[in-house]
Amino acid sequence: MTGSQKNDTERQPQTDLEETKKRAYIDILNLMSLIGFLYGALDDRLDFDEALAQQLKKPAPHYRTKLETNLLACLGGMSFVLILVQILTGVLLLFYYRPTVSEAYQSVMEITGQVPFGWLIRGMHAWGASLLIVMVFLHMLRVFLTGAYKPPRELTWVSGVVLLALTLGFGFSGYLLPWNQLSYWATTVGTEGVSAIPLVGETLKYLIRGGHDVGQLALTRFFAMHVVILPGITMLFLTVHFLMIRRLGIADPL
Amino acid sequence: MEKEKTWKYGSEPFYPNHILKQLVLICILMALLVSLAAFFPPPYLPKADPYVTPEHIKPEWYFLAAYQFLKAADKLQFIGMWAPKIIGILAQGVIGLLLFFLPFIDRNPSVRPSERPYALRIGITLAILYIIFTAWGYFS
Repeated sequence: MTGSQKNDTERQPQTDLEETKKRAYIDILNLMSLIGFLYGALDDRLDFDEALAQQLKKPAPHYRTKLETNLLACLGGMSFVLILVQILTGVLLLFYYRPTVSEAYQSVMEITGQVPFGWLIRGMHAWGASLLIVMVFLHMLRVFLTGAYKPPRELTWVSGVVLLALTLGFGFSGYLLPWNQLSYWATTVGTEGVSAIPLVGETLKYLIRGGHDVGQLALTRFFAMHVVILPGITMLFLTVHFLMIRRLGIADPL
Repeated sequence: MEKEKTWKYGSEPFYPNHILKQLVLICILMALLVSLAAFFPPPYLPKADPYVTPEHIKPEWYFLAAYQFLKAADKLQFIGMWAPKIIGILAQGVIGLLLFFLPFIDRNPSVRPSERPYALRIGITLAILYIIFTAWGYFS
């Protein structure tokens, strides 16, 4: 600042620039103090900083070898990353998908052919589902082989099995939505399998299909399952799963 | 407050060490996902037609094992007409319940592989059976 004040008359344009810069800095500073005002008040009540610091500094254990640490310790986290990808791509698909018997197939064709990058988002959602299930299986296998489900982590395992069932439910309900030959007949055969359950099988099949055959009601039900009911329940169990992992700590490596 | 815990093979801070390593893995995972989506897009299939049954109906790969198991149970008809469906469903239900209640069934406190031979044998057998039935379903 001292330099610009000295040659005030000679460097008029420069001073203007300095002035603009100064004002911009002040604006940014004001904005930050505003955030600080809000954040500070929230932090006063809720201790964000302390909670965050505690979460961030929590140590992650090593396994016997570097390879094991990288491959075994990542499976659950990678499953979560894939769930996030499924949510993101799923919401994007939801913007264009129309869940009716007459329009579902057409809308999926539009997503693949006309919507910018629709083919990519749809491909990622379809492949993400398979990768997620592979990852969840491997995660479960790892927890089983290392005996990480043993006390005090019994309920973490139970919530994990529920999450596995939910993941399979996502796969089953999502498969019908493109409304092509494969999805229609795979769902017909799949729901037929439900009727093999003793006593309640037939009723259950009727309930899932919303009638004797797979039709509009089935599509509506599968759609509701896939985008509202299952995501809600999954969020709940994910929270429980994570809270228990945090609370009980990561199991000792073998 | 939690006590400081010492780990057998050491540990690293969650942030930034562990997070950065995970980010590398996430990048690899995303690269794999985008490559699969780009090079192997979902196949083009005709619109659903309730009046035309395709020749080969197969579920998604992760349901193939269960599907194939039900089909294999069909061969148990010599026991009685009830046998295939009941046994096919019952066995899968039992496996599901076993999985759910595993921590309460397997009360062996040791986590060392040499001290839990039965649990590991049963678990690995089930995993291999799952793979075999999936492959059987895929190639039949």
